Amino acid sequence: MFELLSKISKFVFIFLIYYFLLNFLRIMIADLKEEKTHPKATGFVLVEENGKIYPLFDINTIGRANDADIIIDDPFISSKHALIEKRGSKMVIRDLNSTNGTFVNGKRVKKTIRLKDNDQIVLGKRNFTFLRGERLEAPR
Amino acid sequence: MKPHADIIYKENMAIIALIGIIASLVLSFYNGTFSPIPVYGEMIFIAIMVSGYIFTNLLFPQQDPALILLSSFIVQLSLIMLYRINPYSAERQLIWYGLGVALFFISTLASKAWVEVKIGDFFLFVITALLLLSPLVFGVERWGSKSWIVYKKISFQPSELAKITFSLFLADSLKDRKIKNPLQFFGQILVILLLLAAARDLGGAMIFYFTALAVIFAATSRLDIAAAGMLMACIAGLVGYKQFNHVKVRIKAWLNPWEDVPGKGYQIVQSLFAIAEGGFFGTGLGLGHPDYIPAVTTDFIFSAFFEEFGFLGASALIVVYLLLIYRGIRIALSINNGFLSLAALGITTFFGIQIFTIIGGVIKLIPMTGVTLPFMSYGGSSMVMSFVSIGILNGIKIRASSGESNG
Repeated sequence: MFELLSKISKFVFIFLIYYFLLNFLRIMIADLKEEKTHPKATGFVLVEENGKIYPLFDINTIGRANDADIIIDDPFISSKHALIEKRGSKMVIRDLNSTNGTFVNGKRVKKTIRLKDNDQIVLGKRNFTFLRGERLEAPR
Repeated sequence: MKPHADIIYKENMAIIALIGIIASLVLSFYNGTFSPIPVYGEMIFIAIMVSGYIFTNLLFPQQDPALILLSSFIVQLSLIMLYRINPYSAERQLIWYGLGVALFFISTLASKAWVEVKIGDFFLFVITALLLLSPLVFGVERWGSKSWIVYKKISFQPSELAKITFSLFLADSLKDRKIKNPLQFFGQILVILLLLAAARDLGGAMIFYFTALAVIFAATSRLDIAAAGMLMACIAGLVGYKQFNHVKVRIKAWLNPWEDVPGKGYQIVQSLFAIAEGGFFGTGLGLGHPDYIPAVTTDFIFSAFFEEFGFLGASALIVVYLLLIYRGIRIALSINNGFLSLAALGITTFFGIQIFTIIGGVIKLIPMTGVTLPFMSYGGSSMVMSFVSIGILNGIKIRASSGESNG
């Protein structure tokens, strides 16, 4: 009696255990999909001279084009001017062959460089400051 | 929480209960006659799980419900196995589970309300060191390591609590993403490792070491420290093999257990026999021979589970552990606060390395070291502290969801 019950129930257990896993996989996939459509802020921000704040996500293209992530309408800025992206826990900037160049702390960006807190970024004729988001709330 | 996910979580809770009810009914007939005790136990388990889930969900709508469900699932399987091996230990384990869920709630509340008390990394180091020192002074030797404190009938393993304080210590030291005072920091880690080694808890020392390495690498992204750490681990392994006889015995038993089956290789050989007996679908609940395996309720519970639930059940259990770690890493990535993020990472890494060490040990992937399988092994300290750990993760998740970033 017990042997028969046990032999039948083992298939039921395997089925239930895998159904449990499948349910969690469904949640996992839904989570990842949501993350794709709503990118998470990295906590870093770009602050323009005039006080405008742009929160930075994992990948941010900056330029005049309508499909850039950060749109800056300025004749000295190329349609796709520069790219700021997350590498590990750090943010890096790369110039996208812009006409007027990208400068970090006065130096022209040739290849990808890592951004540090409080770096001064110049795109065309616009000045930006790269900051950690938490510094914004603290009085400066 | 999204209503869709909520339904899935509730469905999963029903599945856990269903597995338990079927298993307890099967076990009721175990001795040939019907005895309702496992069913009563299962009712208590379901009551704790459901009330724990509903209560925490009601109070913290932003919590991660997966944590309590995944851990309850593992506890459910553990209770089934323990009842089948030794009903008394299942009864005790059920009490620990109830206590664990209560502490899960308390530690969620505590880490949610954690207002950056400036206790500092040195203080956390002192707590960790004292916790590890206490069994050396007051402790009792059990199973070859002196890491237990016994007061009347209650025994406690302080190193389980030290895992949490050690994670907090690492997180606090590295919260600015750099090592401020390398000499002091590495000295502190060395002291902790030496204390563990002095208690002859070498498995524990290994877990602490690799967790520290992982957290340092995650915080500083420095490959040179990681490489040096790995090299040090190899050297320490070689020295341990040459110097300590019981390390030598373990490694020899791992390399060739068949050399001395009734002696040194006995444990691992019995574990491998049990696994081989299981096959794909297992022998069926109650039809295996866990009584042949030594330390079956603690270290070798995974082999007993493998025998009766088969390769499919055991690999599913590993996936459940992976899901738990996935949730932990997700929580660590979701918060923009150095301390909390690294604390979540440290706690998750402890789980991950411990699970790898013990499962790898019983399936003879790596040499056997006696550590517990979180939520699965019989033992109060391990169970309760595992719940406290996931409670802290849960609190950090709540803080991340409520959009807190500074601290």
